[in-house]
Amino acid sequence: MLLSAVIFLPLLGAILIALARHILGESGLKWIALIVTLLTFAVSLSLYTGFDATTHEMQFKEQRPWIAGLGISYHLGIDGISLWLVLLTTFLTPLCVLAAWNSIEKGTSGFMSSLLMLETAMIGVFCALDLFLFYVFWEAMLIPMYLLIGIWGGHRRIYATIKFVLYTMAGSALMLVGILYLYFQNDNTFNLMTLYGRTLSHQNLLFLAFFIAFAIKVPLFPFHTWLPDAHVEAPTVGSVILAGVLLKMGTYGIVRFCLPLFPEGTAAYTPLIVTLSVIGIIYGALVAMVQPDLKKLVAYSSVSHLGFVVLGLFALNHQGVQGGILQMINHGLSTGALFLLVGMIYERRHTHMIADFGGLSKQMPIFAVFFMIVTLSSIGLPGLNGFVGEFMILLGGFMSDSFSKVYVIIAATGVIFAAVYMLWMFQRVMFGKLDNPKNQTLTDLSLREIVVLVPIVVFIVWIGIYPKTFLSRMEQSVSQVLRQSRSTAAVKAAAPAIVLDTTTKEAKEVDE
Amino acid sequence: MTINWQLLMPELIIILTFIIVTIFDLFDSLQKTLTALVTIVGCAIALYVSIDMLSLGMEGTEFSNMIQVDKYSLFFNIIFLVSTILIVLISMNYLGREDKRQGEYYLLILLATLGMMLMASGNELIVIFLGLELMSLSLYVLAGYFRRSMVSSEAGMKYLLLGAFASGFFLYGIALIYGGAGTTSIPQIASTLTAGAKSPLLLAGMFLLVVGFGFKVALVPFHQWAPDVYEGAPTSIAAFISAGPKAAGFAALLRIFMEALQNLQSEWIVSITILAALTMTVGNLVAIAQRNIKRMLAYSSIAHAGYVLVGLAAANKDGISSAMFYLLVYCVMNIGAFGVVILARTEDGESLMISDYAGLGFKKPLLALFMTVMLLSLAGFPPTAGFVGKFYIFRSAVEAGQIWLVIIGAINTAISAFYYLRVVVAMYMREPEAELDFLAYPRLLIIALTLAAIGVVLIGILPSYFLSPAQISTFL
Repeated sequence: MLLSAVIFLPLLGAILIALARHILGESGLKWIALIVTLLTFAVSLSLYTGFDATTHEMQFKEQRPWIAGLGISYHLGIDGISLWLVLLTTFLTPLCVLAAWNSIEKGTSGFMSSLLMLETAMIGVFCALDLFLFYVFWEAMLIPMYLLIGIWGGHRRIYATIKFVLYTMAGSALMLVGILYLYFQNDNTFNLMTLYGRTLSHQNLLFLAFFIAFAIKVPLFPFHTWLPDAHVEAPTVGSVILAGVLLKMGTYGIVRFCLPLFPEGTAAYTPLIVTLSVIGIIYGALVAMVQPDLKKLVAYSSVSHLGFVVLGLFALNHQGVQGGILQMINHGLSTGALFLLVGMIYERRHTHMIADFGGLSKQMPIFAVFFMIVTLSSIGLPGLNGFVGEFMILLGGFMSDSFSKVYVIIAATGVIFAAVYMLWMFQRVMFGKLDNPKNQTLTDLSLREIVVLVPIVVFIVWIGIYPKTFLSRMEQSVSQVLRQSRSTAAVKAAAPAIVLDTTTKEAKEVDE
Repeated sequence: MTINWQLLMPELIIILTFIIVTIFDLFDSLQKTLTALVTIVGCAIALYVSIDMLSLGMEGTEFSNMIQVDKYSLFFNIIFLVSTILIVLISMNYLGREDKRQGEYYLLILLATLGMMLMASGNELIVIFLGLELMSLSLYVLAGYFRRSMVSSEAGMKYLLLGAFASGFFLYGIALIYGGAGTTSIPQIASTLTAGAKSPLLLAGMFLLVVGFGFKVALVPFHQWAPDVYEGAPTSIAAFISAGPKAAGFAALLRIFMEALQNLQSEWIVSITILAALTMTVGNLVAIAQRNIKRMLAYSSIAHAGYVLVGLAAANKDGISSAMFYLLVYCVMNIGAFGVVILARTEDGESLMISDYAGLGFKKPLLALFMTVMLLSLAGFPPTAGFVGKFYIFRSAVEAGQIWLVIIGAINTAISAFYYLRVVVAMYMREPEAELDFLAYPRLLIIALTLAAIGVVLIGILPSYFLSPAQISTFL
């Protein structure tokens, strides 16, 4: 019941807010949203404390029939991979509510209900173990996000929001066909756990059907064009959620479905995907470098960072996959924080063009400190979270036998580019002369804004110094994903003798 | 020979209601809205009886096997009666209290409903044809109900001419099938066909039936009448035409093709598949270009006929029950969307542009929320009934191996999201341009619309209650 509670608490809150629209004032609604999201976070913490790190099995499982006539069940569970994404979601949402406290100009109840419905759908995606249920949450996420960007966004919000919805829907249309095909190929089951045990046919096509949906969401080059538009037009909170959690739904999908279900497809497409992600890393970084707009810069840096994540996942070894998953969390924290910071000066100056700023550090020292920490985390300075993730990904890439080291060498230059565009941006915004009169009257961060940023910074440092807290809990689950993505490929590759061989190897691994 | 009247209860109740409404209509001193209320009560009783019969499992044939009352026909009765009740509810304030001729409006709706019920329970091509004509003739008159209005008369005329054409095709098809099989009874045609011999007469007859039905349920390329008629006809009648009669057409189509002509499956399945793909794609693509909301809904309803046809193209048990379930869901959500079009209109009452809806979300939040639910359901977003319906249809088609058709259908779903969401964009994301005039909505209508909206969401979350009746109600 714990997972259901975490998933549906926000939905209850959303309904409560919608109903209380006329009874309570604006601030009352905001307080409800804050209390509900904090409560959700509190409940989700018991997932962390109750989590058993010694097994790869799904935990906190719930399963009961839902639409019996179609073989669909309400089936939830989390492992060490989804645990962190659920926590990331429940952690960021209350911060978003706080960050949006003063910036909603119209329709507070609609805004907060959308945000809470979005939280429900996102957590649902990370917990669903039934393919149909997963698809329902995956699609249900679209509507609240569509409203958030479309109603509370910038000037070109309508274009951006429709582009976002159409891109995602086009991708997920094929995934739906793939899900149905899987269902009938495997004795009519949507149960992911059952499917894990099977060797599936037509893996290459199925892999593509799923992967395209995920690649659009990640977004992997060349499917990334919706992202800058969506980010620039979205309200601050929309950007935070988009960068922090929504993009991870794509990479999570790859880990949860593509790698373990379709090892053959994975093997077949790894060269292509790795090429695309390396292009994404370099291209995203180069384009970010020339952006005059802060939000666009951060958006393109996301393309670059998520290229790293995909690269790590397809390294198909411990370091790579763990690094990829850790980097998902890192990116959620640091890019989320970057968007929050950009939102904070946007609230004061109503612009996010870099040229409008300069010398802010003199006027807003506290802001500058936070901005500095987050910038360094995004660059990957040792001691902060970004370094750990990127280092593990590159290490995994070098050790990987699924692609050549040349890719990794090229990708590594992306780290340098990141330093260039981030530090250059920081310099132009924070240092130099404070010559724009509008900037001379800026006020520094309020207590509310500091409260929003401090928790994120705590985790940025925590992961940077002691990532073991996070890695140890995903260890078993990552091994399981790797076993699945390897063993079936081996079965296919040669005679049964090798199967025995792999099983003994597995046994040995367990012994160790 | 005794007739088991119990089997025909729903039909009899409708006929009785018809008589009562006729009598009420004779007295000018009576309030005209009373006729509407009587119609609703009559339909509600018939609905209750149908549901009761369905749960009791009453089945049988009557009138020398001309009428076949089974779970299938009873399930369709539910669709027709729910649609009719909703239509009467939205008509009440659309026509206003003043209109002296309201009586005949409701009488014609009742007649059309009776025709639909006959089509669903017809066990004989002739009975189906009679039902079809009873329904169509009533609809021709209803489409031209606003005599003073040029567009309404044009709509009525156009509908009559093209509809008569379609009936001609249909009847000719029946004649040829009779020539080939020597009978017009559905079970007998089926048993003749098992004997082998695919005569060219039968094949020709079958394709003529496809054309006839194609006109009636507006499949591409036989759809041209639909947008003009929807645009010109009274909005409530456009909603009516798009719902019940379409379901009735499919009821007969499914029964004829899956029962009588099942052994010719290899002959018709390709053409049905192509028609389904064409109907979905053309309907959705052309809908994107529409600026008038009634025309947009017309093309959207064409596209939805395509989705239902995917169920027939699957040609299995799930295909039929998914088509049935989808038709039920589709009728509710489509009438719901038309209901909002009726309630919110510009001053002159005509030419409803999508841009007129700008700002509705903040002026009339409840109405806009209701419209949003219906549109999202039409677009097939979870957790709405439209999503479950589409999913079930696609599922049955994948089961039958029609992967390509499902891919086309799934891509169409993404295309359709574009134009449905455009209305949502207008309602919530644009500044108002035109002043909309709102009809005062009666309490009954609010209840009906709220029930419909809650129903659409509830069916989306807990579909089993409606899904299992559909699954046990096929004739296969």
